[in-house]
Amino acid sequence: MASAVASFPAPKDEPAVDADEVVSPAEALYDKCAQRPAGQIFFQRDLSNMQVAETITQLTSILQELCDRHLLKLMTLEGEPCWKLRSRSDADKLRRLTPDERLLYHHIDQVQAEGIWSKALRGRTNVTQQTLTKCLKSLESKDLVQSVMSVKFPNRKMYLLKHLKPSEDIAGGPWQSEGDFDVALIDTISGIVAQHIENETCIKVPGNWNDYEQAIAQKKAAVQGMRDMEDLAPAVKPYRPRRDPNTSRLVHRNAPQYPTAASVADWLNSKEILRGKFVREEDMEQLLEMMVLDNRLEKISGTNYRTVLTATDTKVYNGFADAPCGNCPVFDLCGDEGEISARTCVYFGQWLETESEEI
Amino acid sequence: MSYTQRETPILAELCTFLVGDVYGELAARVYSVLARHGRQSLAAIARASYLNGRQIKYGLVILLQQHLIFHSGNDGPLTYYEIDWENSYGIVRFGKVTKLVEDRYGPKAANVMSNLLALGHTRIADLKEAYFPPETDSGDESDDGATNGAGSKRKRTNGAGVNGSAKTNGVANGIPSELDAAKPHTSDLVNGDGQPNGVHKPSKVDRLTHNAAPEEPGRDQGDSDMTSVDELYNLIQRLIEHGWIRTVTETQYLSPGDIHDMLYQESIEQDNHGITPTGAKDKETVNRGTLRRKRAMRDEWSSVPTFVRRGRANGSNKRIKTNGAAGGSAASSASSSDDDLVIRVNPEKIAVAMRTEQLVHLVQQRLGSVTARVYQTMLRMLESQTPRCWDEWSEPSDEPSAENGVDLRFLVTARDVATKLSRDRDLDMLEGLDPNVAVQITRKGHVSRTNVWTQPTDPSKLSLEEKTKAVDKHIQMLAEDPFHFVTWHSRAGFSQWHIEFGEIAKQMIQNEVENTVAAKKGSLGVKLIRALKKKGKLDERATCNVMMMSAPDIRGVVNDLTLQGFVQTQEIPKHDRREAKTSLHFVWYDRQRAREKLLHDTYKGMVRILQRIAYEREKVQFLLTKAERSDVVGNEEKWLSKGELDALRKWKEVQEKLLLQLFREDDLVATLRDFHGPLVSA
Repeated sequence: MASAVASFPAPKDEPAVDADEVVSPAEALYDKCAQRPAGQIFFQRDLSNMQVAETITQLTSILQELCDRHLLKLMTLEGEPCWKLRSRSDADKLRRLTPDERLLYHHIDQVQAEGIWSKALRGRTNVTQQTLTKCLKSLESKDLVQSVMSVKFPNRKMYLLKHLKPSEDIAGGPWQSEGDFDVALIDTISGIVAQHIENETCIKVPGNWNDYEQAIAQKKAAVQGMRDMEDLAPAVKPYRPRRDPNTSRLVHRNAPQYPTAASVADWLNSKEILRGKFVREEDMEQLLEMMVLDNRLEKISGTNYRTVLTATDTKVYNGFADAPCGNCPVFDLCGDEGEISARTCVYFGQWLETESEEI
Repeated sequence: MSYTQRETPILAELCTFLVGDVYGELAARVYSVLARHGRQSLAAIARASYLNGRQIKYGLVILLQQHLIFHSGNDGPLTYYEIDWENSYGIVRFGKVTKLVEDRYGPKAANVMSNLLALGHTRIADLKEAYFPPETDSGDESDDGATNGAGSKRKRTNGAGVNGSAKTNGVANGIPSELDAAKPHTSDLVNGDGQPNGVHKPSKVDRLTHNAAPEEPGRDQGDSDMTSVDELYNLIQRLIEHGWIRTVTETQYLSPGDIHDMLYQESIEQDNHGITPTGAKDKETVNRGTLRRKRAMRDEWSSVPTFVRRGRANGSNKRIKTNGAAGGSAASSASSSDDDLVIRVNPEKIAVAMRTEQLVHLVQQRLGSVTARVYQTMLRMLESQTPRCWDEWSEPSDEPSAENGVDLRFLVTARDVATKLSRDRDLDMLEGLDPNVAVQITRKGHVSRTNVWTQPTDPSKLSLEEKTKAVDKHIQMLAEDPFHFVTWHSRAGFSQWHIEFGEIAKQMIQNEVENTVAAKKGSLGVKLIRALKKKGKLDERATCNVMMMSAPDIRGVVNDLTLQGFVQTQEIPKHDRREAKTSLHFVWYDRQRAREKLLHDTYKGMVRILQRIAYEREKVQFLLTKAERSDVVGNEEKWLSKGELDALRKWKEVQEKLLLQLFREDDLVATLRDFHGPLVSA
């Protein structure tokens, strides 16, 4: 990657001469570069191949001019100088900056997507707080930089160039957008992940998987009789619910490959459900741990997850929570006597379908 | 103070209610004085109540007979009385105890237990005579003009309480002398007037021969009738061996505080040469000594007395002679030395059995009925070796390495379980398992794409080996569950497992807290509780990160749960100016606090249910009195109008519903209070 380096003390050898053509060579060079795909980086040999400048000295002076006009940005790649094109409007904006603003812009530019905290910026540039605030405000109003709230330090304002996307360090992982959790995205992805893990760790067993009664055809009549008995008195055989071939039950697979954060992340990335976003193992672990809290997954050992299964469908809480008192909004106000008491309780009345005492 | 003896006002109210319900108004009045004022002497009780001395003494005798109060013994100049909160609360479990025993030992044992519960502590001879009256007893059984008006079962209990107490003086060895002095008065009181307690038995019952409650224990038992004295003795012995019944000694009347003082002194004298310990090391020695003595004392309570078996089979006479027991004759009318043994129900064992039931229920919900059945078998195998759920007086655990080796008695093998379960032919051992496992076990067929077994097999025709393998798979499922219902120990006997009850109990408590929060606040509340439990103290941003939600979504539920006392908040100032803006705001969750809060709420819910029952009864009081008239009983259809019958049925429904809920709340209390000691939050 090309790392930005100071473009100010650019090598300046000779003053600009031989510039009496209709289109200045600088403009010509800029136009030629602009024809290339956007964002391309030019090395000296690329530029001399464009055959705008006749000598190296002339090329240097043209480049210096373009740099001064902010149309080119000087960078280095592995010790070799290289240049990148700026749009004319950007360059125009840059040209109108005050020196202070330009200094700040330069420093913000250097940190790229990581962003820089305003306090750190002040430390590097040694400007006064008032200048800093003023300049940052004007840079923001000129659409050159943007400020983002850091996810790691929520009270820090981080500055970075307008056209850049904030890095994950300050904007959070794939689950966050604009500093906040993207609830809709998280819901969708966790649903997909839950389904995936269920497929991995559970097996759907139909009610008639072991239909030995059907298999013994000659005993069918007897079987029928038994079924009838079961229908009549299911309580007698509490450990033998009726087999209905249409119902099926999820049970945990025997010794499956339990998914881990890494394996689920790989799977999700390979499916490319999150377009343009790469899910790291840490991100997936965060999501899976959250799903454990949500009681959608359970942790088997240190890193393995599986689906939570319940054998019964009906949800009962406990003796207290199921009683009227468990959900009573005035439970703390309820006394032995007085306006709110067991005698006058409307909730008991509803629950028991009896009359309560009128107050 | 002993953990179990800390009482809260709401528990006091609950227990007073229970005592009043079961043992009548007088006992409840005395009880409520003790509940309100704490440890009191006789004179102090008299000062604090409007009752006269005789009434108080009488009330105390009832309470002592039922082990609802402690007293400080005869040694001191003044006897103090103090409530035994655990036993008092235990009244609510009477029905459950009978059920638990019936499931395990059959209806006859359940009958013995329910009699013991009704009578309080009892001499074996009295129990025997209750079943096999020596002469035709003319105690008129139908005479129960109860003022309590509850179901007939409760009335019986009432009567039993009174009767028991009438001859307590002879029976119990632990009655303080000041009550002994009141013996004749007590008997007057029983037969006399102004007795609020309901059933009176005619004084024909000879107190001095300790004629046990002529109450007809076998009246409504049907086929559970005891056929012989030996059967009764065998049952009692079995129940003692398994820890359901224990012998009564005088130390059981001492409150935990008194026991501590007594044994602490003993420890000082014996371990520290009578010098009050000052240094840390001496204190440690004495504390350890005290705990050791407490344990020894408790073990003595539950030790099985050597029973003199009488007339059991041929040849037993010889043994009796060798033993030199009193009354060599094998005739059932003769008394033996066993007969003077005083026994009572062991409340600690009840909690163990309740734990079994609840664990099985939990497994049934999580993993299915067959796995639950396997687990039930495992738990019941361990039950007789488990005297209590947690040890209040355990050795301080600075040397856990010594405990690392699991006692062989607490191990269960898959083979044992399979052997036990193979008797049940209706059990489909393969249900709830992955079909691939079934294939693996039987080596027959394969599993089709729709997960159907190509070679269906009747599960009842599996060999023991195959069953063992299936059981092992079920046990593996138990082990893999996040509750870790079982823990692997070794490969012996196909696979050997033990159960870490302490850890499971902690999770059960957490589970109940989460259930309650789920009912109140939905899944978001549960998520918050779990996040805080996992991460500890969190500020708002960290909470958001863990739960992957935005702050405004969480604030509401944090606030609600804080108000309800399930989570706590804390503010730590950063500067000495303590500005709220710059302070750190934390939320955290403390299991022990949440547990106690929920326990407190549950007690309160139980009180409300009892109050509602009382109110509902009050509404139909007139009708109930009518329905209980001797000429109406049995002829309800004839004497009551249709409206009255409907009202009566409605009242029964309402009472049943409320009582059922009460018992379910009691299950919750058991989970929260009895299965695990205080949780020290990390």
